[in-house]
This record gives sequence, C-alpha cells and structure tokens, in this order.
Amino acid sequence: MSFEDIDKSVIGEVYDRYTYQEIKADDLIAYARTLGIEDPIYLDEEAAKAGPHSGLVAFPTYVVKLRGGQWMPPEVMKHMTRDGFDAGKDIELGVPLCAGDQVTATSTITEIYEKTGRSGSMWFVVFRQEIRNQAGELIANVDSRLMQRAAKKESA
Amino acid sequence: MSASFEALEPGDELEPVTIDLSSDFVREHAIAMDMNADRFTNDERAKQEGLPGQITPGNMSLGLLSRTLLAWLPGSRLQRIGTTFRGLARAGVPAKVQAMITEKDDDTRQVECDVWMENEGGDRLVVGTATLHFPSA
Repeated sequence: MSFEDIDKSVIGEVYDRYTYQEIKADDLIAYARTLGIEDPIYLDEEAAKAGPHSGLVAFPTYVVKLRGGQWMPPEVMKHMTRDGFDAGKDIELGVPLCAGDQVTATSTITEIYEKTGRSGSMWFVVFRQEIRNQAGELIANVDSRLMQRAAKKESA
Repeated sequence: MSASFEALEPGDELEPVTIDLSSDFVREHAIAMDMNADRFTNDERAKQEGLPGQITPGNMSLGLLSRTLLAWLPGSRLQRIGTTFRGLARAGVPAKVQAMITEKDDDTRQVECDVWMENEGGDRLVVGTATLHFPSA
C-alpha cells in the first residue's frame, strides 16, 4: 500500500455522526481533576453555580475526548498501522460544554496529504469533529492530524 | 504568575512552569480520557512497542498547555488553541511549559500567544498558538 492507494474520495464526506448520552458532571470533574485543574468552575458543582456560567462546565480541552462513534472511515483506517501517531490538534471553541448537555459529534475528513522528511515519506490525515449541543450551538471544532509513515515500496 | 488584560503587552513571557509528568499522573489522565493504550499507561509495554518508555498522550499535553495559559491569564476564555506534537513527552520526566504574548487587540480584548512544552534538554516537544478573550469588566 502506498499513499496513492488511499481513497481520497472520502475527503469532505461526513463519515460519522454520533450523539452522546447526557454528559455527566462526574466525567467532567474526573477529566479536570486528572489534569491537575484547580479552578472550581470545573471541579465543584456548588461553587460553579457562582461562576461565570452559573454551573459546572467542561475544561475547554475536554472536547478532545468526544471522538465520535467511528474514529476513522474504513477506507482510511485500513491503511493505518500502530506506528502512526498524533501529530497535532487545532481546537476552535464556541459555547461552553455544560454538565447535562447532550452533544453530537459530526466527523469529516478534511485533508489527506503526503510529506517527505529526514526520516522518509509520511502521510497525514486531518479529520474534524464538529461538536454541537442539544440546541445546535457550536461547542467546538476539533481538527486532529494523524501521521503515518508510508509503507516502503517493494523492489522488483 | 497571573496577569490582567490591561497589564499585558506583546512580548510578555510566562515564567517557565515545571510540570511533573509522573507515571501515575499520565496513566490516570490517559484512563480518564479513554486512552488506555499501553504506550500511555505502562512503561514496560511501551518499551515493547519500541518506544523509550511510557509517553504522555498529545491530548494531555494540549490540556496542560491550556491549563497553564488559563492559570497565567485568569478571567480569560480560551477561544482557540492549535498544537503540533513534535517529540515524545516521556512520563516520569519533568517538562516545562512556557508562553509569550505575541499580539494584543484592545478592541476585541483578545491576546494571541505562543505556547510550548520543552524537556530538560530544551527540546520543544509541543509547540502551539492560542487566542484568549478577556470579557469586559
């Protein structure tokens, strides 16, 4: 398999739309606590009532946990191996995610491209999770960039 | 180490913040993130994968950069953050997070920052930029 073998027709197509069960305060708190957050608006439901959102909200980067129901379309997934890694993330934040929200993540491949570096050829897939709450308000666009080393071409 | 919007100027730098990426800290957060892969939770098994040892998930590094920015700029709201994961952030090895204001817009009450995580050798493992907004008083 090489970069040319990857089906680029998936670019721009929605490949997953996943609605989560109601987001629990305990899950938001566990995320914040294990990240070492100290601000009570992310940790304490009572204290958060006096905060700017009148209730507990998710620490902003919690949204990267909402990876949808299908991580990657099968057309791309079949080319991925265990030696790939997360090359980066871009997050645009909208309204805060609150405890009790029911959120939907819609996933799209936005780019597939190849690069050649010192260590050889590699390819990248960029996918976006658009995360909205039950009112349709944008909570976040999360763009993830995954890198895969290109398979070595077999010599004749 | 905190600063108000009015006092900020482009070029202002955050004093480096050392973060203890202990094995337990990384493991517990990885599990809370549903990222239970051996590379994030088990040093020996990470080595069996060919890695130098247990590593920090990129998503956790992203969270730690955001945590540091919001602690430095209290009252602000993170509007955007973009990161590139350039190197492996090893668990059990301290890392430093640094940041600098690169732009300030008095009309929109926004600041742009460079933010990065580096290891003890000064290698930048994660680099990024962020936009933070300060609500009017």
